[in-house]
Amino acid sequence: MRQRALRLAVAGTLAAGMALLAPGHAEALPPGAPKIGMVCTPGTVSGSTHTFNLVAKTGYIDTPDGNSVFMWSYANADAPDSGHFQTPGPVLCVTQGQTVVVNLTNTLPEPASIVFPGQDAAVTATGGVAGLLTTEAAASSGTVSYSFTAGSPGTYLYESGSNVAKQIEMGLYGALIVRPSAGPGFAYGSTTAFDPSREYLLLLSEIDPDLHHAVETGGSYDINALHNRYFAVNGREFPDTIQDNGSGLLPNQPYGSLVRVQPTLPGSAPALVRMINAGALNHPFHPHGNHTTLIAQDGRLLLSPGGTSASTEHFGETIASGQTQDFLLRWDDQDKWDPVTNQLPVPPPNYRNVFFKDSNTWYGGSPYLGYKGTLPTGVVSQNICGEWYFPWHSHALNEFTNFDEGFGGMATLLRVDPPGGCFASPASASLIGGVLNSGTVANLGVDDSSYYVVNPRTTSRTSATSASQTSITVASAAGFPTSGAYYIRIDSEVLQVTGGQGTTTWTVARGQLGTAAATHVNGAVVTALATDWYAGFAGVPAGAGNLRVTYKGKNCGGTTTTCTAIASNPPQQTVKICNWTIAGAAGCSSATSTGWVTLPPPPAQPQSVGSTDVSSTWTLPGSPAAYIGTGSNAGQVRVLVHTQRYTSPAPTAFSTWGNLMALTYDAP
Amino acid sequence: MRVHAWKTEPTRGGKPQIQKTIKRAALVLILVAAGLGVTGSVASAAAVSIDLCATTGTATMADGVTVPIWGFGLTAAAGDCAGVTPSLPGPALSVNDGDTVTISVTNALPAGHDLSFEIPGIAFDPGPVDAAVGTTVTRTFIANDPGTYSYQSGGSAGRQAAMGLYGALVVRPSTPNQAYDPPATAYDVEALLVLSALDPAFNAAPDTFNMHAYRATYWLINGTSYPDTAPGITAAAGQRVLLRYVSAGYDNTTMTLLGVHQRVVARDARLLNNPFDANAETIPAGATEDTIVTMPAGAGPSPHGYPLYNRQLHVTTGAQAGGSPAPATGGGMLTFIHH
Repeated sequence: MRQRALRLAVAGTLAAGMALLAPGHAEALPPGAPKIGMVCTPGTVSGSTHTFNLVAKTGYIDTPDGNSVFMWSYANADAPDSGHFQTPGPVLCVTQGQTVVVNLTNTLPEPASIVFPGQDAAVTATGGVAGLLTTEAAASSGTVSYSFTAGSPGTYLYESGSNVAKQIEMGLYGALIVRPSAGPGFAYGSTTAFDPSREYLLLLSEIDPDLHHAVETGGSYDINALHNRYFAVNGREFPDTIQDNGSGLLPNQPYGSLVRVQPTLPGSAPALVRMINAGALNHPFHPHGNHTTLIAQDGRLLLSPGGTSASTEHFGETIASGQTQDFLLRWDDQDKWDPVTNQLPVPPPNYRNVFFKDSNTWYGGSPYLGYKGTLPTGVVSQNICGEWYFPWHSHALNEFTNFDEGFGGMATLLRVDPPGGCFASPASASLIGGVLNSGTVANLGVDDSSYYVVNPRTTSRTSATSASQTSITVASAAGFPTSGAYYIRIDSEVLQVTGGQGTTTWTVARGQLGTAAATHVNGAVVTALATDWYAGFAGVPAGAGNLRVTYKGKNCGGTTTTCTAIASNPPQQTVKICNWTIAGAAGCSSATSTGWVTLPPPPAQPQSVGSTDVSSTWTLPGSPAAYIGTGSNAGQVRVLVHTQRYTSPAPTAFSTWGNLMALTYDAP
Repeated sequence: MRVHAWKTEPTRGGKPQIQKTIKRAALVLILVAAGLGVTGSVASAAAVSIDLCATTGTATMADGVTVPIWGFGLTAAAGDCAGVTPSLPGPALSVNDGDTVTISVTNALPAGHDLSFEIPGIAFDPGPVDAAVGTTVTRTFIANDPGTYSYQSGGSAGRQAAMGLYGALVVRPSTPNQAYDPPATAYDVEALLVLSALDPAFNAAPDTFNMHAYRATYWLINGTSYPDTAPGITAAAGQRVLLRYVSAGYDNTTMTLLGVHQRVVARDARLLNNPFDANAETIPAGATEDTIVTMPAGAGPSPHGYPLYNRQLHVTTGAQAGGSPAPATGGGMLTFIHH
């Protein structure tokens, strides 16, 4: 990785903080809004007309230092609770060529309006009263409707065109996003592809609370003495900026600004960071980490006269008052970090670089993308899964404060998750149908040449067996399933145990799976036809999403510690996950328990796996909450590998060789 | 009326011939109403003399307040400042590519204020740059790089410039109605926008004022504020308007134009390799920029046309302490481009 981290303390503990959050989202946001990233306001689309209904109104925001500031803003009259106050104003996303209608109702005590800087098509106003810069809605209950054709794609500001020195400072601004007809995965044309799931908006603004207090109380105020004390990103001040969209802690400030990426992988598209400076000051914004690539300003691609890109790369760029800038962001991993094959030799953070507060840490810089290390007594979390945080902030350091107290203010974090997401290795491996041949759980954590090897469980008959006998007694039932029907093998015959599980006297069906019932001598070896073992993961955070299970392993002939190639009829492998909601931990206590759920295709199961490693990754759709234990099993995920082999008419011995078992997920 | 466009006709002449060279007076006063077309003429290299005085005067702000200033004014005879009234900003000077330009500046400032004349971006022939009070400094250069420049006094640690000793110099290329040699810089309408700020408390006591307490209350385009900047710049639909910004104040200045982008073609009298379209463009203090606006067909978002204003929201005029709740917007660094 390029390391550009100042030894600034960065928030290392989101997990603990998250637990404090009230669930749900502020009513200003549309249902189902993502927790991280830009949230568009739906509006109403009818044909090629996209209509938004805004109301200019008053409200309050919370600041991290405990202050409450009176604001003016635009609210979405169509919000779930009809005009819930929010700052900044709703993010208006439209498509190039649409007719955009913005209806404004003004509840403020003076005329208000909206101008659309950067929209070069004529903005037609209907109703309202002519003002200095544009047509206004009269004080108290006036209305005006603006209409224009959405022009060139890009990032734009909309803001007050009335009494601007006061009204813009008071909060009358928002973002207007014009998407290209090329589709949501492009910022502009085909040269600006980005990952639409990683689209971020950072709208900068400033607040002088004295002005706001004067406006609230009718007091006097000298705009020439403007002294900003709060500096916001998306209407919040750091560290509130890193809370989720719609955090219940910030009911009137719905937009978070945590930027979250993963290292660039082959074929992956960059993130798009849209920046808008709605404030009156120019801000030197400084993203730590990789360079960001400036591709456009004020809704216009930066191009050379020949039409090629004139983009530039930055780790500090001034964004001017009223300006917009679009950046593409890749996290290029120069060290090819991989949690399995190329761990970086970094220790847990030096505690001299760590700030501890309560049970949380704020840690500064090193290591990055590592695993959780040993923590001091009482500290419960370092970070979620070894991700790395970089501060992105105004480098006018007085703006990196809340009321002059650092650090805070105009800042957010870039969070770099491990490639593919958060990564977990098994904390334990448990046999529930088989015998450990060799290896430990550690062999499952790394994709290498060491294996966790399981042989089928065996026992022996205590008497001779006739070809028709359906009740047999074995020397021991240990390690065989305690419930459900399962197969065993005696000599070349496959039998199915249908009764007496968990005891030494079993009811069996003879001659199964194409084999013929036969006689067997006293002392004949009884072998389970399958191996069953599960890997246990711990510490998976509640609320994790996009759970993916990776299992890599092979099966070998014989049951020794040497892998004998399997030439034909490879064993059949089925990987399952424990659904804790079916029967709790008991539902996954044995190989045939009801809690085990076959991982959904692709790839389809069972799979034929011979003596060459096969790696498969399954993704669990939707919320994986059912697969993450709660209560006494909090944070636990269990993945079962069930392997069985029968080769009619002569089943032969095999062993299961697990190489890698891993979990990746999007942390909450 | 104060305006921010000019005509390029020579307005002053009659200087005696020196040998075979006509001493062409090429400087131009800001005399005409906004938006008049520029009279084009094929320029040819000439020897040009410009005689300035730096002297004391007053400026009337848009709210009627009269402020003492130090400024430049033209004089009919080098070294003679009698009767010269300074302007804020100083007179707009215009010369042609290839001209040999001689500028004399006579210092008629209050005692003790040595004047230091400079045109950033232009190298003078060797010689003294300073003029003590009562003396004249003469600087000569060949204007061979077209563009928009500022001239100013660097004396008294910036206090002289803050008092108003600044102005604009335009070097025109050989092709008329172009800002630079490439045709892409052609224009139909030209407007000069000298941006500055003024704190009357400082101007009242330029020698003793504590600069840490400097707090501008007037935000000026060509020395005045809205509504005195009205009606602004006139241009017809489809016409190309060249905006020559000179940032003469103490701070970086961001200008936004509502309803149409402006194409930034040059900074500091140098063409950009990659011109770009800006909506809010910042001109650093002391810098110049040239942008071209292609006028849309529509009338603009405002009844007055396309608002061009300071996006740092310096759109108030004068003291604001009395309002309840202040401020009342509608002054300051605001003008319009209109049909």
